Amino acid sequence: MKKLLLTSAAVACLATGASAQTTIELQRFFGACDSDYGDNTDVSAAVGECGIITSLINDFQAQNPDITVDVTTVEWPGYDQLNAQLASRNAPDVVSMHYSVISDYTSRNLLEPLGDILSEQGIDTSTFTDAALAGVTKDGQIYALPFDNWTMLWHVNLNLMEEAGLLNDDGTPIVPGSTDEFFEQAAQFKEATGKPYLVQILANETAAYTRLFYTFLMQQGVDPFTDPNAVDLTTPEATAAAEFLKRIYDEGATTTDMDYPAAVAGFSGGDGGIGINGTWLIGDYAAQSQEEGNALSDGYTVYPLPQLFGAQDATYADGHGWAVPRDPRRSDEEVAAIGQLMAYLAENDGEWARTGHLPAVASVFETEEFQSLPHRDNIAEVAETGQSLNPEVRRQFAIQDIIGEELNSAVHGNKPVDEALSTAQQRINDLLASL
Amino acid sequence: MAAPHRQSRLSNALFAAPYLVVFIALLVVPLIWGIYLSLQKADLFGLYGFTGWTNYARVLNDALFWQSVRNTLLFVVVTVPILVGIGLFLGLALNARTGGAAFMRGVYFSSTVLSVTIVTLIWRFVFIPGDGLLSLAFQAMGWQPIGFLSTEGWSLFSVGVATVWWCIGLPMILILAALQQIPGDLYEAAALDNASRWRTFTRVTLPQIRGTLILVATIQIVMQFQLFGQAQLMTNGGPNGTSRPMVLYIYRAAFENWDVGQGAAASELLFLIILVAAMGQYWVTSRGPRT
Repeated sequence: MKKLLLTSAAVACLATGASAQTTIELQRFFGACDSDYGDNTDVSAAVGECGIITSLINDFQAQNPDITVDVTTVEWPGYDQLNAQLASRNAPDVVSMHYSVISDYTSRNLLEPLGDILSEQGIDTSTFTDAALAGVTKDGQIYALPFDNWTMLWHVNLNLMEEAGLLNDDGTPIVPGSTDEFFEQAAQFKEATGKPYLVQILANETAAYTRLFYTFLMQQGVDPFTDPNAVDLTTPEATAAAEFLKRIYDEGATTTDMDYPAAVAGFSGGDGGIGINGTWLIGDYAAQSQEEGNALSDGYTVYPLPQLFGAQDATYADGHGWAVPRDPRRSDEEVAAIGQLMAYLAENDGEWARTGHLPAVASVFETEEFQSLPHRDNIAEVAETGQSLNPEVRRQFAIQDIIGEELNSAVHGNKPVDEALSTAQQRINDLLASL
Repeated sequence: MAAPHRQSRLSNALFAAPYLVVFIALLVVPLIWGIYLSLQKADLFGLYGFTGWTNYARVLNDALFWQSVRNTLLFVVVTVPILVGIGLFLGLALNARTGGAAFMRGVYFSSTVLSVTIVTLIWRFVFIPGDGLLSLAFQAMGWQPIGFLSTEGWSLFSVGVATVWWCIGLPMILILAALQQIPGDLYEAAALDNASRWRTFTRVTLPQIRGTLILVATIQIVMQFQLFGQAQLMTNGGPNGTSRPMVLYIYRAAFENWDVGQGAAASELLFLIILVAAMGQYWVTSRGPRT
């Protein structure tokens, strides 16, 4: 009996030793596309956020057969799920995270500082862009591998804009320079095409409203969070930004009732001239415009959100990074595997930039591959004009939901603009005061 | 001498113990822990001190909370009678020992086994503007399409339709089971007395299934007060909070705002409301003569 036990123990040891397989759990948003890219390791053949990140992880595993990356895809943004996992000490090893929420987690000491992991892999943090590095740095420590910067953009259907007579002689679209010009062009567009000028995400949505609202505040030179613990939305600038969003709706210059997937498909199907959506769709729309027989065929371009308010050219920006939740039980092998994955992702930031996001690794901007990507010249200025909120502001996603909900009410006429803004202010300040 | 059978013995508790252990571990302990949390400043990652009734005061002073209470009450008041009514109708219609009736029972019950995600996906295809089923039907009729999921009033209505479709199986099956328990001789007696179909229904059928109807209504009241997934996935509580139920309010507070104390306080209030509603309903409906 004793012999049998010893033998089985020896076999068990051998088995463990033989399979020096390290498994790390990665949790991300960006969607699921296993039917198209489940086995694809040719990253250059992938298109779109989901296709590229799926192929990157596949390729990493192919290059590192001793590491298994167990991927869990969550519904965007996935923080509620992550919070529950952190509370039950069951968090993944690597998780996709917006720069704007990192301070929530660092304030509770829930993330691993990555300085050592990155330096062990020879990743020099000075290679990241200033915006990306600032996004992931809290109290002098780096808490996520920066992967990109993103903003909302002015996606243009050139075919419809031509029909509306809104193209310059060189074939570029005429972009409004003020709110008055915006409404003139919207009217001209509708007159000529019978369609609304904008395709917006207005239903079951908060993020899009808030990002535009922040952008138009920033364009008026206003930071609503000069005090990170209290917002001031009772300013004339806040009213002007909200009134503008409401007037777009009132004057029929936008599609209505579209949720996020409907708005993405709506622009792609030619429901309006300008799609207000993020950097992440450039790759998909550009690929669609290369194909024949659709609304964007040979007729797509993209610009930053135009400067419609006078003070400064600015646009709200955020970014995606890869954070590592704290786990005292994590082995050295797992930490090393995480480091290898981080190094791989940083090396391949140029591939990720094909989605449309701005690269987080500064040298990618100089590469021929990046410069030959379509429309990147148009949006390069976002690197300078992009602004994030005061990084000390916590609960930025909860705040985004509050502002988005109240603006939704104001835009749809369920509440007067001033009441919506004062309610948003009261709700946000109650939230921040309870932290 | 044998002990009188009513005499209590400690060893008898053993029979109830397995259930009691589960009941205490999964219901009593969380309830007490929830009350404790509601008196604390707390997030998911720790407790930061006793705050007394502050969380309750914040919830009770929050217009959004009262809006969610109104939404939930309206939802319960409208959906529960519809669920009981349609459940009764389907039970009566399918109370036959034919293959067709058995098949239709399966059809009507099938929606109940779906997860809330699938249910809301299906109804999203019906309600979304543009390519949605209703939108296409409206366009075909030359009517102006309605933004069912993004218009005040219609959003809660749409959630209600999906909920009734999803939940109708259980009331139907319970009522059907009760109908099949009614002794046939009661109907024979009614037939001998030359009772009309309506009279047979009101004097024989309804009194016989009264207990089950009360049970179905109570279960549905408790279930529909806990409306969450459909509202979160179909409308996210909007627009303007008009389809936000209490559980979504609690979820937002605890998981999105990380304010577990406030979420726990709102949960305890929801518990009290459900308790009062279910007890009230039971008291009102069980006062009549027993048959």
